Amino acid sequence: MAQQVAARRRPGPWRLAGRRLARNRVAIVAAGVFLAIVLACTLGAPLWADHVAHHGPDDQNIQGTVQVDGKAVPVVGLDGTPIGPGWHGPYLLGADANGRDLFVRLLYGGRTSLIVGLGAAVVCLALALALALPAAYFGGAVDSVISRLLDLIWSFPVYLLAVALATSLAIGGFHAGPISVGAGSLWLPVSVIAVVFVPYVARPLRGELLALRRAEFVEAAVAHGAGPLRVMVGELLPNIASSALVFFTLIVANNILTEAALSYLGVGVSLLTPSWGNIIQQGFSSIVTAPALTVAPGIAILLTVVSLNVLGDGLRDALDPHASSRTSFDERAV
Amino acid sequence: MSIRMIALPSTALALAGLAALGVGSAASRPLTLAASDPVRGGTLLAGIPDNPDHLDSALSYTNEGWQILQATADGLLQFRRQAGSDGVKIVPDIATAMPTVSKDGLTYSLSVRPGVRFSPPVNRAVRASDFKFAIERLFRVDSGGVGFYTGIKGAASYAKTRKGGISGIVANDKKGTISFHLTERDGTFLDYLAIPFAFAVPAGTPDKDVSTIAAWRVGTGPYMISGYEPKHGVTITRNPNFKQWTPETPDGYLDKIEIKIGVTPQNAVNLTANGQLDWYFEPVAADRLTEVRARYPKQVHDFARGNVTYFDLNQRKKPFDKLAVRQAVNYAIDRSALVKIFGGQGTATENIIPPSFGAAYRKHDLYPYDLAKAKAMIKQAGVVGAKVAVWSHNTDPTPKAAQYMASVLTSIGFKTTVKTVDESVYWDTIATQKGDPQVAFNDWNQDFPEGQDFIDVILNGEHITNVGNNNVSNTNIPALNKRINAAKRLPLGPKRDAIWAQLDEAFMRQDAGWVPFLNRQVTRFVSTRVNGLVFNPSYFELFPSMWLSK
Amino acid sequence: MLSFVARRLAGLVAVLLAISVLVFVVFNVIPGGDPALRLAGRHPTQDNIRQIRKDWGFDRPIYVQYGDTMTRLFLKRDLISYQDQTPVLPTIERGIPATMSLAIGAALIWTVLGVGIGVLSGIRQGRLADRVLTVVSMLGISTPIFWLGAVLLYLLTFRFRDSPFFSWIPSGGYVPLTKDPVQWAAHLALPWLVLSVVSIGFYSRVVRSSLIETRSADYVRTARALGLSPRRVLLRHTLRTSLIPVVTLFGLDFGAAVGGTVILVEPIFGLQGVGQYAQESVAHLDLPPLMALTLYGAFFVVLFNALVDIAYRVLDPRIRVG
Repeated sequence: MAQQVAARRRPGPWRLAGRRLARNRVAIVAAGVFLAIVLACTLGAPLWADHVAHHGPDDQNIQGTVQVDGKAVPVVGLDGTPIGPGWHGPYLLGADANGRDLFVRLLYGGRTSLIVGLGAAVVCLALALALALPAAYFGGAVDSVISRLLDLIWSFPVYLLAVALATSLAIGGFHAGPISVGAGSLWLPVSVIAVVFVPYVARPLRGELLALRRAEFVEAAVAHGAGPLRVMVGELLPNIASSALVFFTLIVANNILTEAALSYLGVGVSLLTPSWGNIIQQGFSSIVTAPALTVAPGIAILLTVVSLNVLGDGLRDALDPHASSRTSFDERAV
Repeated sequence: MSIRMIALPSTALALAGLAALGVGSAASRPLTLAASDPVRGGTLLAGIPDNPDHLDSALSYTNEGWQILQATADGLLQFRRQAGSDGVKIVPDIATAMPTVSKDGLTYSLSVRPGVRFSPPVNRAVRASDFKFAIERLFRVDSGGVGFYTGIKGAASYAKTRKGGISGIVANDKKGTISFHLTERDGTFLDYLAIPFAFAVPAGTPDKDVSTIAAWRVGTGPYMISGYEPKHGVTITRNPNFKQWTPETPDGYLDKIEIKIGVTPQNAVNLTANGQLDWYFEPVAADRLTEVRARYPKQVHDFARGNVTYFDLNQRKKPFDKLAVRQAVNYAIDRSALVKIFGGQGTATENIIPPSFGAAYRKHDLYPYDLAKAKAMIKQAGVVGAKVAVWSHNTDPTPKAAQYMASVLTSIGFKTTVKTVDESVYWDTIATQKGDPQVAFNDWNQDFPEGQDFIDVILNGEHITNVGNNNVSNTNIPALNKRINAAKRLPLGPKRDAIWAQLDEAFMRQDAGWVPFLNRQVTRFVSTRVNGLVFNPSYFELFPSMWLSK
Repeated sequence: MLSFVARRLAGLVAVLLAISVLVFVVFNVIPGGDPALRLAGRHPTQDNIRQIRKDWGFDRPIYVQYGDTMTRLFLKRDLISYQDQTPVLPTIERGIPATMSLAIGAALIWTVLGVGIGVLSGIRQGRLADRVLTVVSMLGISTPIFWLGAVLLYLLTFRFRDSPFFSWIPSGGYVPLTKDPVQWAAHLALPWLVLSVVSIGFYSRVVRSSLIETRSADYVRTARALGLSPRRVLLRHTLRTSLIPVVTLFGLDFGAAVGGTVILVEPIFGLQGVGQYAQESVAHLDLPPLMALTLYGAFFVVLFNALVDIAYRVLDPRIRVG
């Protein structure tokens, strides 16, 4: 009770954090960049496709031509080399081997990458909390079992696990009772990435929760007869919300990188849906004749991930100015 | 039984851009580079992206493996070691002469040339029974080549029991004779004796892959495999026991061939340009070809190859159970767009048999590009909105071709998805009825240069199986099956060829279960010092003909 | 302490066993992964496939097959691949020099550069150098390394191949150290850089914040107040303490690099190490080498995890690790 009273009188921790964040110019710029990318990919994509490029992301135009300086240039040459970047409306960044507009695909591909990144982050965080909360609350055997499970996933070479899961799911899809995920669904990369990175989030959260579990206000709630669920959701969860938020931005960044890596290994997002990862993967084979196909989506990924990482860094500083060091989450596996 | 290239890891490939296979002029012309006389000696520095599948003639079933084996081992017969159409003819190798065939066409008798010896450490002379042993061993090591020899009497039961030998192969080591008794007449049996599966293997060789077992990895050719470290390299040196026995089995010029494993196609181009690599097993990386042609015109060579690349339309699956729908897809495909996707490296086709087959190839033009007509046909068939999945493997540029196919199918009114599977798994997946693709990317490379290898092996409805099914379109027209069976019994020659050409057109007209679009070719980029390139359509580039200028 | 080490090692074996079971099961239920079909080639007869199932033991219960695979892997040491029937263990052994050269070299680079940048950034906190270095390390953390590798390879060995600065960079492959040390280093230069980029960025961030934190710690302030020179304080007290997290990270990262990340780097440069073998095997869904390679990879990850825990106890006796 005393805490709540205090909260009314002084600015709350969230508001304080907001003020600290607003002072961090680098983080604000990063947030702006990320927002701009999100807007371009969501609202900007159809606008550009309809009004400037006049091509959808999947419109193939292998035999077509485009006017450059009054001359008709084939979109794809006889040796399969697509038109390169140039400052003309359609094919702003050039075309790919199927005669599709690279820039339009980048915008739509960004949607996919962001959906996979955000979706997998939500799933991953939810799973991590679902494991870390009971582990910390009950301790003992429950904690041991969950910790060993996390150890197992942690030690499993990430890419082998991802590739194994993705390959088996890509051929047949996943069918278990009422849940049915068709091959080629975006849920496949989302769930694969989410599962693989659960330990990276669950472990540090568990550590934090363990400390909280022994805190007086939690013991008090338990003493007052609050049930496990109530304590976990009502007392523990709000107190790690700030850590979870920091993690969230960092995992999104990490997931976008992982999506790209999985697509590079050929097991990511299904081919007909453009994503930054599979645009790179398909562009690799013509890096010499059409470098834009590899370079442009890579830069898009880099920009997005940097902005998220800087933002996450800023958020952490703002939420916990005395953080002992960077959290143990890291992206070394990517 | 199409021979494959080694399956390469998808990413290495994607990155390196081993894309389109070869190019160029459709005509297969013999290629002679040598301006001066061949020079003996020297070490050829060769590269390959991954392990050649096997260095065991019973198991190897890829271009790369066969290409090595043709230099290190021999069969009773051989394809003439010449380029292009000169290389189609079958001539004696270890046999003293072409076989005598009994009147009923069921028995082939040959004599084994005395004095041909296996390379060290076996060293002994080749016996007639070594050829019997080699074919029986195929069944014991679960070879992919057994299908060629099941027509020999007793082979079917031997496949089950693996005991007592194949009764239809009678070898007499004293007289040096061997005869094969067939259950049915088969004009292509001569071809079966010339491919590596029937090469001599010393009796006693263990029933397992001997690729890495030097004691048994022996042959009779001018060269021998003296070292093999998987993922690292293969060393080929002269076989000290080799003495040339006929002009058709030439001695080699090179002293040594060092094959480095793990050279990506992209890297191969760089190394070759720098003179650090002489010759590479795979075609030039597609996106380097234009550059390489411009900068090193004298070092680039195009070779014809018995290939057809196509999509299967599975007629056991809706909506492709309707002939009109299959024909509509054939009209809707712009084949020249697909040629572009394959880097312009090949020629568009709608035939089943490739042009390099001579008289068995007769060009037809049943399906000129006509999208409007295709749309109308789909509407008329009442299948607008049907769901269609296009299957593809992941080796570039196949996924791009599959995406093009998907966009075409979408444009004529279907709801389309694309499924990609790694190439090493892909062929098995589409060849099982359980996998059941509706539309599948496919290609076929000759095992031997004869129409039967295309028309009978793939499209004869009597060969449809649940597993390992080459007839992915499930084409089955009883009247045409009958004509195939009749043609098979004819001896090789123009009469047979003419029937294959007719059947080619008949299948495309009456069945249209295929959407053929491309005959791919091979393009090589070699160092300045390599001469004597001879590309045989069955054995590929002949190492014994190559020589290095000083 | 000894019992702790023993417990960690027992846990290591248990995790490895669980992983091997998991891999085996996953790859056995994958559709399209039926090795009998692959071994049978492209036009198999039904008999042939049945025979292969029998010969290779695919018709036996999965736990028997698992046991057999593990026996061949650890006891008989004659495991062979489905893809081309080559022996697995000698192939891994041949790949180890390349992989270790790559991982150790990269680890040296990322430690030196990461710590260097971190320290510089930390002692210049808030100034221009710090800002610039922060951006650099953030970029490092955010790079898709396979992409970086491909782009660098394209730029340096194709686009600017004729420039005198880059003409020495080979376009791939591995040269053994014993054969030619100069070429060995030349061939590994780009792979080292690519493999270390993420860790450089990461270490510098960690070292920086750790340094800043330690500098404000009581004992450091006390030392300063006692009149010790700033340089001496930095070297003797601050740095030593702030490097503890680096030790942890190094263990985890090195394990992860050897056991996993090399998969992404080696194929790009055609190094033919263990990572490339793993990547090729996974692409081919080739179970026997995958079993061996997964265990090999997991071994390093788990081992270094355990070493970190042990090192932690040695370095910082306050920590009690369960």
